[in-house]
Amino acid sequence: MLDLRELQTHFFTPAGVVKAVDGVSLTVNRGEIVGLVGESGSGKSITGFSIIGLVDPPGRNVGGQILFNGEDLLGAPERRLRQLRGNRIAMIFQDPMMTLNPVLSIRTHMVETVLAHEKVGRAEALRRSVEALEMVGIPDAARRIESYPHEFSGGMRQRVAIAIALLHRPDLIIADEPTTALDVTIQAQILAQVQKLCRELGMGLIWISHDLGVVAGLADRVAVMYAGKIVEQGPVDEVLDHPRHPYTQGLVNSAPLANERGKPLRQIRGAAPPPLQRPQGCAFRTRCDHATDRCLQEPPESEGVHRWRCFHPRNMEGRA
Amino acid sequence: MSEVFAEAVGVSRRFTTEPDLAERIAVKLGARDTRRVVHALDGVNLAIRRGEVVGLVGESGCGKSTLGRIIAGMLPPSEGTVRFRGKDRARLRGQEARQARLDTQIIFQDPMSSLNPRKRVVDIIGEAPVAHGLIPRKDKAALVAGLLEKVGLDPSMRDRFPHQFSGGQRQRIGIARALAVNPEFLVCDESIAALDISIQAQVINLFMQLRQDLDLTYLFISHDLSVVHHIADRVVIMYLGRVVESGPTEAIFAAPNHPYTAALLEEVPRIDRRHRSFQPVKGEIPSPINPPSGCHFHPRCPFAMDRCRVERPALIAVGGGQESACHLNDLAERPRFTQTDNREKTA
Repeated sequence: MLDLRELQTHFFTPAGVVKAVDGVSLTVNRGEIVGLVGESGSGKSITGFSIIGLVDPPGRNVGGQILFNGEDLLGAPERRLRQLRGNRIAMIFQDPMMTLNPVLSIRTHMVETVLAHEKVGRAEALRRSVEALEMVGIPDAARRIESYPHEFSGGMRQRVAIAIALLHRPDLIIADEPTTALDVTIQAQILAQVQKLCRELGMGLIWISHDLGVVAGLADRVAVMYAGKIVEQGPVDEVLDHPRHPYTQGLVNSAPLANERGKPLRQIRGAAPPPLQRPQGCAFRTRCDHATDRCLQEPPESEGVHRWRCFHPRNMEGRA
Repeated sequence: MSEVFAEAVGVSRRFTTEPDLAERIAVKLGARDTRRVVHALDGVNLAIRRGEVVGLVGESGCGKSTLGRIIAGMLPPSEGTVRFRGKDRARLRGQEARQARLDTQIIFQDPMSSLNPRKRVVDIIGEAPVAHGLIPRKDKAALVAGLLEKVGLDPSMRDRFPHQFSGGQRQRIGIARALAVNPEFLVCDESIAALDISIQAQVINLFMQLRQDLDLTYLFISHDLSVVHHIADRVVIMYLGRVVESGPTEAIFAAPNHPYTAALLEEVPRIDRRHRSFQPVKGEIPSPINPPSGCHFHPRCPFAMDRCRVERPALIAVGGGQESACHLNDLAERPRFTQTDNREKTA
């Protein structure tokens, strides 16, 4: 359904060209949950913004294709993008307090969203809105829809944001760290709801997160980003049980529960390079224990369902 | 067992909203006083022994940061006593009070807002020991260089400003600043929550290294159970201003007694749990302005009984060093939690 091919989004700043997204290829099928994992500055959010055409100057898509149901969105006119956004593709952001307008009631938010894309009466739009709120587990939806964003708790606001995204039963939802600001028990409620809705409605979902644990529990496939590139992607079990890229392996190994209690964690040394000072070739090589001179070249992405960009993949024993 | 080092006894803390001018006039004219009281802490006991790492866990609004600040002496309690080395903090005067303050240092969540952006690292770290007369001014540069090295930063960076560092490096500066006055007790308030995963592991390792090298005692406040499991000797779990369960880390992770603890453990995202079908606790976290009666957790508890709605459960010993505040313990046969294996997986 969604097919990103060598997507490149660069930011042209006075200090230089920041290659935020630098050749990302990723597919999402109907009803599939793909986890996009990375640390701050890895380009995971910009990948999400690029898909729905929300990259503002000085940022620009400079290459690649975004095929959505076969149609390339990169060349599409703004009018066409407006038709798709909020309709076939929806996005959920980290902080719903920033994305909901504080002076509009939830009802206004939702009814306007319905009317923006479909010719229906206000009563019908309202009925659909209440239904969407019920679907995400908001009790007493017919009454609560009259409330304003500040009257909801953080978890409830995020449910409202999800309900708005669901209004047109989109084919694809891009969720950018939607549970990061929430408490553990509330996060679990949202994850449960999202998982159920994806299964029931057959939507594709890109779940952008820095938390491998959340992605492990939720996603079917996972893609790990580092310095603007997907360094490894594949089915969740494959990638987490047999990480090939040293960066993925480092992330998996440094999780506290993967280490013996009280012993030092197996850490990745150093810090992610600033975007303007990325090392040539493999961007991870300066932090990598296995780097050689060969890594001064850009490693190509391997073939197959489970793919990686590394000249010296790990965990290869027992494999051809 | 070693001596109790810092202790909160029956500590409560209430925050009252200050009435604005209009409200004060309205009250003067006979309107009802509408000031609202937040019960941040409600009769909390907590003892930390010398050399121990106590993990304080809970969701937002449970009072864990308030408790940390009260134990560190930054906030006075509304009721109850805070003891430091057996002495009431509120009664300490002069030199003794100063020493108690120096011996306790806090490391905050966001190093960007807790470091003065207009000061150079050398002053941020070196100012306190000079001001307190711990070292002569001429030794400041050497002390700072040593501290930077200890927390894993290049001493040549000492003339830079906080904004020239990454998040992980800034947190290390915060740690160096705390260590500068030779504290014995560190309160870490969500000190790693804002860091990237690969940096989190580095800072956790630093905390464990420092504990070994400097013989420190920690109160480690966090919402992340997997981190607490890794470094804490004892865990204290709070919910809406009360301690609901405490005990040795391994015992609690193996067999939680309180339904809230069980629910929290069940929901910890972890990479070895795949394709989960989530069965979350229902309901919202209630507001501490108007907490539920009886046991605060009863509206969300799958095992709630009539008694839970009216009577506050006391924190009682339930064996194995664990304490729990739950009426289920008085039942002849208590229900079992459905639970995934939370014990440690040795990789």
